[in-house]
Amino acid sequence: MRHDFLDRYSRLDSPIHRLPPAVKLVSALALVLAVVLLPPSRPVFLAAVAVVLLVVAALSRIPWPALLWRVALLEPFVLGVAILALFQPGGWRLFVILVAKSTLCLLTMVLLSNTTPFADLLRVLKAWRMPALLVTTLSLMYRYLFVLVDEAQRMQRARASRTFAPKRRRAWRTMATVISQLFIRSSERAERIYAAMCARGWR
Amino acid sequence: MHIPDGFLDTKTAVAAGALAAGALGLALRQARAHLPPRRVPLLGLAAAFVFAAQMINFPVAGGTSGHLIGAVLAAVLLGPSAAVIVISAVLIVQCLMFADGGISALGANIFNMAVLGGVGGWAIYHLVSRAVKGLFGRVLAAAFAAWCSTVIASVACAGELASSHTVRFSVVLPTMAGIHMLIGVGEALITALVLVAIARARPELLQPDEATEPRPSYGAVVAYGGVIALGLALFVSPLASRWPDGLDKTAEALGFKDKTAAPVLPAPIPDYEVPGLHWSTLGTAIAGAAGTIVVFVLAWLLARVLVPKTRPENTASPPAGR
Amino acid sequence: MSAAIEVRALGFRYGEGTEALRGVSFSIAQGECVGLIGPNGAGKSTLLLHLNGLLPESLKSEGSVFVDGSPVTADTLHEVRRKVGLLFQDANDQLFCPTVFEDVAFGPQQLGLSEAAIRERVTQALAQAGIPGFEARAPHHLSVGEKRRVCLAGVLACDPSILVLDEPSSSLDPRGRRELKELLRQIPITKLIATHDLELVVELCSRVIVLDEGRVVAQGPTVEVLSDEELMLRHSLEKPHALRHLHPH
Repeated sequence: MRHDFLDRYSRLDSPIHRLPPAVKLVSALALVLAVVLLPPSRPVFLAAVAVVLLVVAALSRIPWPALLWRVALLEPFVLGVAILALFQPGGWRLFVILVAKSTLCLLTMVLLSNTTPFADLLRVLKAWRMPALLVTTLSLMYRYLFVLVDEAQRMQRARASRTFAPKRRRAWRTMATVISQLFIRSSERAERIYAAMCARGWR
Repeated sequence: MHIPDGFLDTKTAVAAGALAAGALGLALRQARAHLPPRRVPLLGLAAAFVFAAQMINFPVAGGTSGHLIGAVLAAVLLGPSAAVIVISAVLIVQCLMFADGGISALGANIFNMAVLGGVGGWAIYHLVSRAVKGLFGRVLAAAFAAWCSTVIASVACAGELASSHTVRFSVVLPTMAGIHMLIGVGEALITALVLVAIARARPELLQPDEATEPRPSYGAVVAYGGVIALGLALFVSPLASRWPDGLDKTAEALGFKDKTAAPVLPAPIPDYEVPGLHWSTLGTAIAGAAGTIVVFVLAWLLARVLVPKTRPENTASPPAGR
Repeated sequence: MSAAIEVRALGFRYGEGTEALRGVSFSIAQGECVGLIGPNGAGKSTLLLHLNGLLPESLKSEGSVFVDGSPVTADTLHEVRRKVGLLFQDANDQLFCPTVFEDVAFGPQQLGLSEAAIRERVTQALAQAGIPGFEARAPHHLSVGEKRRVCLAGVLACDPSILVLDEPSSSLDPRGRRELKELLRQIPITKLIATHDLELVVELCSRVIVLDEGRVVAQGPTVEVLSDEELMLRHSLEKPHALRHLHPH
């Protein structure tokens, strides 16, 4: 499937991958909270966290370019908000600290999601008493994400193959049609899934 | 609008988290009580749908493109509680799987987009569509609600950032609100187009209110309203009084005046203050109201274009059998 | 011994009046493998949904369905669903859990089995379906054939006595089709296969039921019915190649 790029590295084999998912989730959370709560006057600690993360990254056997790419994808959002911090006294220092902290947290979460299949995370959340309806929703969402993204792509391709003179207004109407079809099909699929669940005795 | 880790201080993150947890808990309880079992898979599928829909590019100008956020669309199609659950699920997956939105900011993000955007947006939709009948009314209501919810969510986001002392009120509010007033236009447009397309293909999908969620009980309305009011009070109200001075001062200090976000209002109302009135809060409020009315009129025109008067309301053919 | 499945004068109408099934009657003996064929829109899928109690939605229609001698009613629903394993046409709709293990375990879980029993059922079912060791796999990484097998395992894990399959060989490549055929041949329980794949019917099914416009227009031994070229053509089907050449396959 073309979308396993969204989930390609979570099932590699490495010492990190083999850790229990609960441990990874708790560690990631703890790390993020530690970084976020840290008062700005301790850059040494941030450096230490960075080293830990780099070691974990190395152990995880995820290709470096992939990791960097994922962090780079999200960095603009960090920078975008951090830039606003410049407009006040002491802005530069605050900017640097914000970007540093946020990027470290980003790297932590990227490492978490790429060493732990989402299904495992979900199981941990379920064990932590997340409400059943939310767990079911997350589970089904994860399962059908790829199916829907695929459908959307196929529909766009089908439209593109019949578009000879791209005009912006047409494009918007077409995209809206694709989205509406996506919802309609999702709605129908949900009914079929309900039937399938009942067929296996869902109560 | 996803806030990354590190930008919110403890008190803001905790407060927003508590509000989000409360609202989400309420939404789950409502859904458990009113959602028929056959609609349960629809929540998950709708969340996947919103995620997939957000990936579709709408070309704007010169290489930039817009995207759907989808809170109001979800609320119109599924009802407010389902929308809260669906958008929360999207945010949780985006956070855990893609690091899009910080985990320490998850509460704030859920409050802004799922609660304010979803429930707030639905409330606006509900009021307007009750006042203006038919498909035209619903499209108008949805477009207007989509714009409003985008802006309100961004204002809350700005409030949270400011309350964390990460950024100054005077900088973050015009930037965020300004940008999202523009983004909101795209959101309104896409929401309207999608609704009209669904109405033409499967009109019965637009009658979810009674099936998925009967009119929310008085208790639920009060509870949601309380959560929203509290959130707005905590994060937004401090901005109202301080902003205009801050903006002027900052603008002077940095020669930043030229770079303020392009105002949506027409020129006669400079600096978001009505000339002649010196009470800045009132001026802001009037300017804001004027802007909102302009958007409402635009939404009306959009709905008119999409749902022409001559077409009879029920052109729907009977739904296709299996 | 009572018939595995007996259907007497079953009728069904969709909400707005389309009559999907009219007076359908047939019976399937224990251990038989029967094919259900007919043109698109004949009502095959609708009929299959009745065998599992998914239709009619309020379990009250003209005629009735009997599984192992007992009627399908609101009380017997859960037992029926355990006994009759229904495999849907679209594997994507039926494979709804995030991992293979969870999906195959779904049925046993609903039955209230212990953790250990569930684990055992899953391992056995996966082995029976020819995909041992697939427990940790994610559905979106699987091919169509693999997904079908997971769905089959999911159904087998409930220990059914009757297998009902809707278009099991559609979208499979020739090898996938051969493997499916072998798999089904090795599972000894009663089977009803709705399909367009007439060659499969010749290879697996001893008897065949022909459905068109909601009515049973013919039923009988496979070779006899499928060799009746005129009958086949009349109902938008055709005589399969396997029967055109008279050497044994």
